[in-house]
Amino acid sequence: MIELENIHRTFQVGEQSVHALNNINLTINKGEYVSIMGPSGSGKSTLLNVIALLDQPSSGIYSLNNQIVTQLDDNQLAQVRRENIGFVFQFFHLIARYSAAENIEIPMILAGVPIQERKQRVADALLAVDLQQRATHRPDQLSGGQIQRVAIARAMIMQPQILLADEPTGNLDSKSGEGIIELLENLNQKQTTLVMITHDEALGSRAQRIIRLIDGKIV
Amino acid sequence: MMIQDTLSYSYMAIKTQPIRVMLIILAMSIGIASVTILTALGESARLYIVNEFQSLGTNLIIVLPGRTETTGGQPPLFGATPRDLTLADAEALYRSHHIAAIAPVSVGAAPISTKGLEREVTILGSTSALRRVRHLSLSKGHFLPESDANKALSICVIGQTIKDELFAQQQAVGKWLRINDRRFRVIGVLESEGQSIGVDFDDMVIVPVASAQALFNTQSLFRILVETKSKQGMYKAVDDISEIIKQRHEGEDDVTLVTQDSVVNTFDEILAAVTLTVASIASISLAVAGILVMNVMWVSVAQRTAEIGLLKALGATKGQILCLFLTEAAMLSFAGALTGVLLGKITLMALQISYPDFPFYLPVWAIFSALAVSLVTALIFGVLPAKQAAGMNPVTALNKR
Amino acid sequence: MRYIDVFNLAYRTVISHKLRSILTALGLIIGIASVIVLTSIGRGVHSYVLSEFTQFGTNLIAVFPGKTTTLGLSGATISTVRPLSLADAVSLSKLDSISAALPLVQGNARIEADKKQRRTTVLGVGAAVPEIWKIKVAQGRFLPKNEQANPRAFAVLGHKLSVELFAGRNPLGQRIRIGSDRFRVLGVMEKKGQMMGYDMDDTIYIPTAKALDMFDREGVMEIDLLYNSKIQLKQVEKEVKRLLQRRHGREDFSIITQDQMLKSMDSILNVLTLSVAALGSISLLVGSVGILTIMTIAVSERISEIGLLRAVGAERGMIFKMFLSEALVLSFIGGVVGIFLGIFIVQMIKFAMPVLPVQLAWFYILAAFIISLLIGVIAGVIPAIKAAKLHPLDALRAE
Repeated sequence: MIELENIHRTFQVGEQSVHALNNINLTINKGEYVSIMGPSGSGKSTLLNVIALLDQPSSGIYSLNNQIVTQLDDNQLAQVRRENIGFVFQFFHLIARYSAAENIEIPMILAGVPIQERKQRVADALLAVDLQQRATHRPDQLSGGQIQRVAIARAMIMQPQILLADEPTGNLDSKSGEGIIELLENLNQKQTTLVMITHDEALGSRAQRIIRLIDGKIV
Repeated sequence: MMIQDTLSYSYMAIKTQPIRVMLIILAMSIGIASVTILTALGESARLYIVNEFQSLGTNLIIVLPGRTETTGGQPPLFGATPRDLTLADAEALYRSHHIAAIAPVSVGAAPISTKGLEREVTILGSTSALRRVRHLSLSKGHFLPESDANKALSICVIGQTIKDELFAQQQAVGKWLRINDRRFRVIGVLESEGQSIGVDFDDMVIVPVASAQALFNTQSLFRILVETKSKQGMYKAVDDISEIIKQRHEGEDDVTLVTQDSVVNTFDEILAAVTLTVASIASISLAVAGILVMNVMWVSVAQRTAEIGLLKALGATKGQILCLFLTEAAMLSFAGALTGVLLGKITLMALQISYPDFPFYLPVWAIFSALAVSLVTALIFGVLPAKQAAGMNPVTALNKR
Repeated sequence: MRYIDVFNLAYRTVISHKLRSILTALGLIIGIASVIVLTSIGRGVHSYVLSEFTQFGTNLIAVFPGKTTTLGLSGATISTVRPLSLADAVSLSKLDSISAALPLVQGNARIEADKKQRRTTVLGVGAAVPEIWKIKVAQGRFLPKNEQANPRAFAVLGHKLSVELFAGRNPLGQRIRIGSDRFRVLGVMEKKGQMMGYDMDDTIYIPTAKALDMFDREGVMEIDLLYNSKIQLKQVEKEVKRLLQRRHGREDFSIITQDQMLKSMDSILNVLTLSVAALGSISLLVGSVGILTIMTIAVSERISEIGLLRAVGAERGMIFKMFLSEALVLSFIGGVVGIFLGIFIVQMIKFAMPVLPVQLAWFYILAAFIISLLIGVIAGVIPAIKAAKLHPLDALRAE
């Protein structure tokens, strides 16, 4: 479902151009569990951002579900993201003034889902991440692990086919990190394609496939 | 902490938020500029009008026939009375030692014509003393000669507008002019007064008072203008005039006396009150700007919580932190006030160029009070956020974010 | 995205920063309230002045001696070689379009009644005063009709003058002296109060011809005409002009209609109200800079939130709408509270100072409300554009 062909991404940093992605060819099938590994600056975040449609490749073709998405405009990209891609960040990115339930609700608000349906789906999602007791708590009243579970619930609320995770345990202690990984792997078992960036060799090796990047190239 | 350190610390803090700073300066300067401009307009109008009234004459007393006992009402401006105020009454006033000059005035309207051109104008009958009392100047010829006021001479002095309309480019002095059915020789042309309050001497013909009375078939005077010898003598002259007229009118006190001073003072007070009102309405906007300063300071305290914690950890006292944030607020307001004053000055200069006849004047006290008010506003509205910053617990502040 | 959700999110954000939002709205509240209070005072003065001008009745035309172009005082009122005469007034009153004519002379004299005396305003008038000026007679009757040319020496007293001279005694039929002439009191007028700073109650009414004699005048100062309201004002004006031109052989008089006066008064007062509104709007302007400032701060504080929203699929337009509606919510709250505060203050003024004429100016209140929303839009647009323009990746990386 994710097909990357000859993807290049260069950045202009001062007068130097940095070749962050160098001729990437990659196909990820539906339901796969892929981890992306590599040292800092190897281009793994750039790759994830390109897959997430947050960043556009300098050249090459990216097709998602057999649709070429490299030529879409900004609003179309937003729509594709909304409907197909869930995102879990290292730094959680919850909105501090909203409760857990409201944070989970946001993607549905953006998609214009009717209110009744939203309430039901939020309740289900909270149940799925085992946080039904914390619905009205705001992020500053939750632990790191709980926050990341809210973030996962949010990522999955639109039932995307693809879940992208950028070092999802990077800011958590190992016990809560373990819980998060189990949650993500559970979702993968229910046919969600999971792509995860990690530094952690042990974590990375749990995936079906490991993609290693060095200097923007797959090795 | 030294003052220059406080100042430079606050300055550095402000400098990191250029857009925010610009907006606050904008808000504050709108307020200050409008207060300065409106104060300047009010002050200029006040000075202009007071000046106009003063240029009407010096130590002037106006005698009007008739008197009403209603207090606070207007004086009888143009009513008639059963007993006339006569030329003899006017001359009798010379008995007072405090009076320097007396100009009896008789007014009416009549058609004037020359060579087929006709128009109706106001005819003013008076004596040579009018020139002195009303500070009139001539552009051509002479004013009415000193002679017996009772003599109805057929001479006249005309205003600039009438000269232009009836004689155009020609020499007017020496020409004959028909007023109703009598002929008068033009002996002088008044210098144009430009804008003047009340009486428009440019559109007027001045004739000897006796001639005017004959023209309008009346014995009564419209007013008597009196110039006193000194300012101090003014009130004594008022008493003298009342006394003399009373004696001549069989003990009846039937004239109204208006002193130039009282008129000037009334206008002075009214205009000062108007200026004050307008300026205070405009200064509501200063309060609004002050609220904005407070709001932004609050945001700034919230955003810099960690920094405040750090300062405290490094040993800053409550007083020092209070001082830092107040300085910041004061700097913001002061910059706004300076911009505002500048903006006001530019606007006034532009107005001066557009209306060169009207003297615009920005009082120095207005500038200083604008600056002072903005500083005080900043301090008042800055105190609460600064206090909050100063009262923070260093540990929680540091741990925030 | 639904609009109700957009506004709901904006509202949630606004109330989550309570203090900041209150202060921001306060700027607008003060501005709106001051515009409302000031225009209400302007409006009140407006209707006060107009009612002062119409309390002497409507459908009036005044004819003055002398040709003047401006409304200023002409020398002709004092004396002129071509006076308006009593006969002019009589023949004007015979025009079909004119219901009544009032030749007027104003003077000042001493009135004596027994031992009491008072200096006051003397009005030489015709019998039509109650009809034309809409003043009622309280006691007795007014000057008799059909005596224009050779009237008897009757006088009618103003309310205050009657009290001053007769202090409770019945003045009807009493003999009084005006200047050196003797008159008999025929009636007393009702209390009328001040009219443009002129005390209508401290006056005495006598026949015009008597006043002309007393003041040794040839002509009247003014003729007031009451015209038939069914006839067009222009037509009446034309007839009056034609008649006087025929009688005088030229146009040596000026006609001022009450309509003209009211119209010019009205426009002057409208300008006055407009300028106090402008004065109040300075605060409104400052308040809108306040909203702009706070929205700018809001965008810069929430860059990473914008990044997140973009990452989970918000389009640029949505981000724009979200921030714009936040500004709108702020200005809406400010506008509504400001209007209520303004109306409240106006009611307080009415209650505390009943003499001050205040009247709610609904047009300006509506305008203030619309302006407050416009302020929201204008102050919100620039920050909202800035927010919408942010690249999602850069925004996510912020912090």
